[in-house]
Amino acid sequence: MVRFKSRYLLCEVCVEDRSSLLLLEERAIYHAVKNAVARSHGDYGAALLILSYGVKYVNAHTGIILIRCRKSHYRNLWSALPFISCLENRGQKVQCSISCLHVGGTIRTCQKFLVKYSTQQLHRMLPHCRNEAERDEVRRAVLSCSLEKERDVEEEEDEVEDDEWEDE
Amino acid sequence: MEEPAAFERLVYKNASIFHYMKICLVLENGRRNIEAAQFKQLIISGLRQLYGEVGAAFPFDLLKFDPGTLTGMLRVYNSGLVKLWSALTLIGSYQNELCAVRVTQVSPFLLALSGNSRELELDQASFTGEKPLLT
Repeated sequence: MVRFKSRYLLCEVCVEDRSSLLLLEERAIYHAVKNAVARSHGDYGAALLILSYGVKYVNAHTGIILIRCRKSHYRNLWSALPFISCLENRGQKVQCSISCLHVGGTIRTCQKFLVKYSTQQLHRMLPHCRNEAERDEVRRAVLSCSLEKERDVEEEEDEVEDDEWEDE
Repeated sequence: MEEPAAFERLVYKNASIFHYMKICLVLENGRRNIEAAQFKQLIISGLRQLYGEVGAAFPFDLLKFDPGTLTGMLRVYNSGLVKLWSALTLIGSYQNELCAVRVTQVSPFLLALSGNSRELELDQASFTGEKPLLT
């Protein structure tokens, strides 16, 4: 059986100014990563990204992105991620850095990791809360973190819902 | 009784960690004065175009270069041979002038590059009707 295997890179975009994070757009990341790979790996790298490359998920509130590429050359993409210094969005340049959290074979495994990672982050945020109201909110978010039930339409593997949680 | 002589055979799969290439630069408008450093810069720019910054950083050495005939000898690690060779193939221009890089010989051993049966010039005297050496 021959099947095109892909790798999903779960990455986090770090910016100094959280408000500029809300402008995060799929297209900006798509082009930024493509240009970075073209710079680091030349024409060969740019050609590798023609096949099965895409940005599957962007969460503007938390800065989590999910990038998909072929299994045979996901390392080229991974090695080019640290060289991205800014994202351009409608003429505005946002200084950022991208770090990879997890590499998975399917979207589902990445989602499972993200849920675990998010609960860890919430636990870490609890001691930093400034007042009781925030603390209650964080506790509530931790308790409600869970994977939603799978949808009936099974062939739509790209449709994933991650339980949105509010931060700070 | 004498013991039979032991027979030992050694087989090396990767005898050399380097590969040596003998190449020649061919320019459209004839020969020019090109220094060794400029030649190496041309190869690095070819690598950068095809394989990016990572490819251009791969170490290789220009062991010999003859500015008159524009022939040179490169040495590269085994893992970078395919990349270097493909980058050399795709070098198209040098300072806005069409050019091509011809690869004459490739070998894992430097000694093999000293002789080339393609450029061997046979002695003319051996073709005339002279007496053979062994009688």
